[in-house]
Amino acid sequence: MSGSSGPSVGAPPAARYVGQSVARLEDPRLLTGRGRYVANLVPPGTGHVAFARSTRARARITRLDIKAAAALDGVWAVWTAADLNPDVGSLRGSLVLPGGGGPPDHLLADGDVRFVGDPVAVVVAVSPAVVADALELVEIDYEDQTPVLDFETAAENNNLVHPELGSNVSNSAEAWPTTVDEAMAGADTSVRAVITQNRQANAPMETRGLLAEWRAFDETLDVWISTQSPHETALAAARTLGLAVHQVRVHMGDVGGGFGQKVFLGREEFAVMVCARRLGRPMRWIEGRSENLTSSNHARRDRADVSLGATADGRFVAATIDHLEDNGAYSNGGNPGNGRMACVHLPGPYRIGSVGWRTATVYTNTCGRGAYRGPWQIESVARELIVDMLARRLEIDPLELRRRNVLRAEDLPHNTATGLTYDRISPAECLDQVAEMIDYDGFRATQREVRATVGASLAPGERAPGAGSLPGIGVAVYVEPSAIGFGALATEGATVRVEPDGSVNVYAGTGSHGQSLETTIAQIVADALGVHPGNVRFHQGHGTPYGFGTGGSRSAVIAGGAARAASAGVRAKLLRIAAELMEASPDDLDLGGGAVAVRGTPARRMTVAEVAQAAYMRPDALPDDISGGLEHTARFKAPPVTYSNAAHACTCEVDIATGEVRLLRYAVSEDCGAMINPMVVKGQIAGGVAQGIGGALLEEVSYDADGNPLTTTFADYLVPSAAEVPSFEFGHIVTLSDSPGGHKGTGEGGAIGSVPCVFNAVADALAPLGVRLTDGPLSPHRIRTAILEAAG
Amino acid sequence: MKSPPFEYHRAGSATEAAALLGELGFDARILAGGQSLIPLMNLRLAAPGFLVDITHAPDLAGIGANGAGLHVGAAARQRTVELHAETLAAAPVLADAISNAGQVPVRHQGTVVGSIAHADPSAEMPAAFKAQGGTVTAQGAGGTREISSEDFFEGYFTTALEEGELVTGVTVDAWPSGTGHGFLEFSVTKESWPIALAAVMVHVDAGTIDRASVVLGGVAEVPLRRPEAEAILVGSAPGAEVFAGAAEAAAAGIEPLSDSFGSGAYRKKLARVLTRRALTTAAERAGGAT
Repeated sequence: MSGSSGPSVGAPPAARYVGQSVARLEDPRLLTGRGRYVANLVPPGTGHVAFARSTRARARITRLDIKAAAALDGVWAVWTAADLNPDVGSLRGSLVLPGGGGPPDHLLADGDVRFVGDPVAVVVAVSPAVVADALELVEIDYEDQTPVLDFETAAENNNLVHPELGSNVSNSAEAWPTTVDEAMAGADTSVRAVITQNRQANAPMETRGLLAEWRAFDETLDVWISTQSPHETALAAARTLGLAVHQVRVHMGDVGGGFGQKVFLGREEFAVMVCARRLGRPMRWIEGRSENLTSSNHARRDRADVSLGATADGRFVAATIDHLEDNGAYSNGGNPGNGRMACVHLPGPYRIGSVGWRTATVYTNTCGRGAYRGPWQIESVARELIVDMLARRLEIDPLELRRRNVLRAEDLPHNTATGLTYDRISPAECLDQVAEMIDYDGFRATQREVRATVGASLAPGERAPGAGSLPGIGVAVYVEPSAIGFGALATEGATVRVEPDGSVNVYAGTGSHGQSLETTIAQIVADALGVHPGNVRFHQGHGTPYGFGTGGSRSAVIAGGAARAASAGVRAKLLRIAAELMEASPDDLDLGGGAVAVRGTPARRMTVAEVAQAAYMRPDALPDDISGGLEHTARFKAPPVTYSNAAHACTCEVDIATGEVRLLRYAVSEDCGAMINPMVVKGQIAGGVAQGIGGALLEEVSYDADGNPLTTTFADYLVPSAAEVPSFEFGHIVTLSDSPGGHKGTGEGGAIGSVPCVFNAVADALAPLGVRLTDGPLSPHRIRTAILEAAG
Repeated sequence: MKSPPFEYHRAGSATEAAALLGELGFDARILAGGQSLIPLMNLRLAAPGFLVDITHAPDLAGIGANGAGLHVGAAARQRTVELHAETLAAAPVLADAISNAGQVPVRHQGTVVGSIAHADPSAEMPAAFKAQGGTVTAQGAGGTREISSEDFFEGYFTTALEEGELVTGVTVDAWPSGTGHGFLEFSVTKESWPIALAAVMVHVDAGTIDRASVVLGGVAEVPLRRPEAEAILVGSAPGAEVFAGAAEAAAAGIEPLSDSFGSGAYRKKLARVLTRRALTTAAERAGGAT
């Protein structure tokens, strides 16, 4: 284990709060409407920023006239590419620095536009209403060009989204040994499917937004932003604006989700900072919902040509995936593609001797792709769907087929055919637990009866069954690579400080966007220092040690590790000071309940506040080598990856006449190691599963044949509400990770397992009708169409 | 987004509202609950120069039943109407329709008459109003007139109202005891727009249906009355085969448009399924055998 935690002093801390469902410290504020989001901040003199955007998917700009907009009363500035682009540096995210590939790197559209929503001009005005009026006065004439919209043919298309790149392929990779073709050919049976995933939007409850203010007196930039990564914001802002990082202060309030969208800065966010610097006033941009749905980023638009070969008794022998992803025009953070990440995880928690994969990422004239909760999850969708198809082919129950292939304790550590090494996971145990939770065998028995009844009721001569509902059950398993520790992602830092009155501040490099770090990090610190979590205040943003922030399910392991290391250092110091003051050995002290006591002599005790007071105010009373104060900064460096795993199961019924899917029950068995706060873990899983249900059944960003977005409000882009999701049931298997505390990340898993789980349940329900489902979302209309097609 | 600038006027009575409309001209719109108009303005799809707010006019707020039916004033909020004892007694199909529209907070703000006057062909309240039947009271500079529910809806978001007229209220016709209603809509999520809906009424006397009304929403440019289906129902005993036949007739001949939630053919299928299921419920409520 890496990480600096200082000398070990006294007994290790007792786990009083870690592991408990401590009520969230942020909830009283959030539930009584006292949360503070970026949109709440409107200092006097604020300029309101908005963007004139392209209404064409691909066109040359033949005329751009800003005069009328600039002349409107209350408008402070209207700027175009010619005004701003020359002034800014690279917009790349820190993980994709110049030279790392990705789309062209410019702030505003310059001469041409490449998707509907491409920002062409930025307008600043005295109020949101005036800036909206001014937008309508920006005149743009276009000469339309043929857009590249079909990602499946984009690679071969000579029509280029970005002519300066010379190709529509942004990234490709493959590892397809000849042995995999031999293994597939030698399999007793094999199944193949081309699975196309629907384009989705992150759709956070709070859209993007920031308030930026340039302070001329000391030449610094203050940024209040809805982000997952305050430090990435500071680094990127400094790079783009040509500032030193110490000239940028990034502040975070409450954040209403991001799910990957708010890791890297978008072009609009950079533009707002540029405006702030130029105008010397606070500049505010709160993204509209339609902008968020059409111009921030999209996700999940993948195609997977997947095959699975097996022996006659269902032992997997080979699997292949030919993967293609749609990167849109300007991918979030300049990301050139993450297909490799998807492909190497294809084996999931199964023994598969031979695996081949190939991936390509292509540009299209659509909104750019971004990270979205489990950005690589097509591997689980492809794998779990093809497993169910193989089960139907072999006439082996899909649960039984998984049991024959799933990794068991005796298989670990396990090297996958794609070069990963799994250890400390429990896929077989989770599969068994979820099967019991959902009463798998009982459901199958009921299903047989219902199928017989519905089958008997079919009217003769009907092309398809006209009435009744068919029940289905789905299962999906996956291994989640959480807390990936490479490059900038490998470490997090934290500072823990006990103030002179005994209250505790913890400064973390994180970017909690709603996932409860304010509570869970406080639990870790509280245990180390023997105080109540309510006595620990959590800070993010300016002044905290560098950290990459929220992404890749990393905070529990890496930020938790940093908080643990920093608070262990403070604990050691606190115990040594208390020992000196009470003339005892640190090893004889108990720390808890906000006090230090000599073991066996409860009368000899000092409160943490008294020790802290002495640490600052009575330096002469301290041990000779302690120069006063009570704080410690530490970093934690994570192992390359910390695997968590889960099994999902759900039941549904499908109304044959309408194609409507009703989810009945949903159970998840998850192994995220030692839980810091089980209630928060449940919340993470529930939120992720709800998003996955949306992805499987409802959510689809669509464009018309000219590349105009059709899903521009929540009236068209449907997200699940409480009415569309069943109650969730949670089971836990605990296998400790090898990081301090034994935690594993679980932020994304819910959204990974749920899409294939729901898909499999619907396919299972409709299996008696011979329906085959490979394309999402499973809207009522699509299901009804599939039923009719299967009936011939 | 923010709406374009507009001038706000508050009317204290129906007469004052009519006078303001006449004075302000074609660029004036009535503002009631604002649940359709304001989003359209914020999306800059509508840009009226003047709004005449009628929600503070006491003479437009009333709800009440008499022998002829249920009267709903133009300022009466949907949630108030939905839960009103007189609605449940005299126009339960309207109560069902309202409970399917939007979320509760939206219904506290929106008005029944506003939804009917907005004339969205896939909306709930216009279809329920047309199914039960009734009259719209319109007031303009020249006085008031009554328009039958059969004649009120003319096309997408288009009604028989003349320029300068506002709807001051609607009266939903009373049906005798022995009447049952069915209201069913199909939407992808609870909160999304219905893809198709069916509002039906049947009156059963001595085991025979003697009066029926079948209206489909979301399948044409107006809430669509289906006389062919009604003809099959009237004179028949309630029963599965009759309902299936009526549903078939209701869906026959309609040519719904396609959109991203469903093709025309799918809407037609839904219209048939929803009509059959709504009739089954209506007959049970009427006390007839099914």
